Amino acid sequence: MGRTSIKNKLILSFLALLLIVTVVISVINWVATDFLLSQAISTALALAAGIVFGGIFSKSLVNRLKSLSDAAREVSHGDLSREIPLLSRDEVRDLEEIFAKMVDDLRNMISEMKNVSIQIQQTNRSLLDFVKKIVKRGEEIDQLTKSIAKGSEEQTLIVQKTAISLDNGLNQMDEMVKQSSETVSKANEARLQAEIGENKASQTVKHLEEVLKQMSEHTQPMFRLANKVEKIKKVINIMDDIAQKTDLLSLNASIEATRAGEMGKGFALVADEIRSMAENSKRSSQDIKTMVEDILEDNKTATIALTKSEEGINRGRETIRSILNTFSETLKDVKDISSAIKEVEEVTGKQVIQMRNLSGHFQELSRLADKNFISTQKTTVATKNQIDDIVKIAKAMRSLTALSEKMMLTQQRFKLSAARQPASEAALETISETALD
Amino acid sequence: MELFIFNSAEEYLGIDANYVYRVVEEIKITPVPMAPPYYLGLIYYRGELFEVVDIVGLLGSGKAKLKGNPRIILLKWSDKKLAVIPDRISGLLWIEDKKGQDTIFTEGNHSVRLITPENIWKRLLELPYGPTKISEDF
Repeated sequence: MGRTSIKNKLILSFLALLLIVTVVISVINWVATDFLLSQAISTALALAAGIVFGGIFSKSLVNRLKSLSDAAREVSHGDLSREIPLLSRDEVRDLEEIFAKMVDDLRNMISEMKNVSIQIQQTNRSLLDFVKKIVKRGEEIDQLTKSIAKGSEEQTLIVQKTAISLDNGLNQMDEMVKQSSETVSKANEARLQAEIGENKASQTVKHLEEVLKQMSEHTQPMFRLANKVEKIKKVINIMDDIAQKTDLLSLNASIEATRAGEMGKGFALVADEIRSMAENSKRSSQDIKTMVEDILEDNKTATIALTKSEEGINRGRETIRSILNTFSETLKDVKDISSAIKEVEEVTGKQVIQMRNLSGHFQELSRLADKNFISTQKTTVATKNQIDDIVKIAKAMRSLTALSEKMMLTQQRFKLSAARQPASEAALETISETALD
Repeated sequence: MELFIFNSAEEYLGIDANYVYRVVEEIKITPVPMAPPYYLGLIYYRGELFEVVDIVGLLGSGKAKLKGNPRIILLKWSDKKLAVIPDRISGLLWIEDKKGQDTIFTEGNHSVRLITPENIWKRLLELPYGPTKISEDF
């Protein structure tokens, strides 16, 4: 059916009404005799027809507008489920179609908004889960970073202590190298002294050999003298024995002379003289014996002294030979020690260089540990900031969730047809509940 | 009279020279068992036996030292023969006659005690047989 404008409708309706009124007036004029009456009746009929026509026409227009107004009111109350009736064929029809299209667009938009809200909430939920994981990982990272920081701090301390110990060790090793040098120098001096001592000991041994030889030569006459004196002593003993015998003989002669009485007096005198001589010779022999014994004693003492001296010199020679051997061994040991100390010095020097390199590495390590510590501190701060940011993001997401809920609540004010209901409302409620935890 | 002076235990003793038969040395003394304590034994000299007496112990002024090779004084009178061992023999000395046994006189700086062989013999005979120690034990 074609569309007609209101103006055309009004023109056609007015022409139809005018025709009807003309016909009626013609009939009345034909019927009626009175002109005025007929005119009055015709005017009245025309007015009545105009009122009826105007009423019908306006009522039709008002009814359609009212229907559209009711639909708009329901839409304004959120009921988008109602279909907009397309009753007219005139300009109101455009309004109805536009309104219907607007409602349809609104419905689509709200539906789309619902979908978007659901997606936002789903995304929010995922994001919240993700944020929770991130926060958890962040906390773990924070703990790990703190642990690393603590470890770095301890590492720094240990490295610093080790560096200090290394420095001390280096100082001690320097001192040791210095002492090694001094020891080498002293060992060389000791070697020199040992060589001098060895030479002097050799010379002393030679001198002692000469002294021993001379002493041996000097001792021989004394031994010969001792032998001769021993022989003299034997002779003196014989003399003493003779003197004793003579004394005994003279004594017995005196006794015999006494027994002989007057006749033996002369013999007694001789016997007395002999006895006196025997006693004198006995005393002389005793004196000689005493002197010889003194000589023997002195000779013995001298011989003992010489023997002791010889023994002492022999012992001294042995001692000096032992010292000489000791000097030789000491010299050898000193040489060995000197070479060993030199080796130790070289090794210590190399160790010092290596220790210095190691100390450098340790200083580098200390610097890196410091840097690592600072980085971990920064990482800790950054992690904390990140967690704060994530918390802020979580808060923003909670706000977003609240907004989407609010939007959902706002959308719930709109009533859509069942066909246009998005997803499951229950699911959406679950999503909104979990997302806001 | 002529005295034969000898020294025993720091005491000078004198005996009449007529009793002295010989002065000998280097003669072995043979001990006699069960003899008195101061009876030292027997010596054999030129076919005769002499009884050796410790004169010092016998006279009660000590004991003979008997060291080394002592000289022995042989006394002989009538049929008796004794031998005494002095520490040292001084020799013969002429003095005026003295009274007898145990007479003490001074010669120079020393006191000399006169003894007689009879008295020695008498004292010897008074001694008990056997060692004093054994007799005391009995």
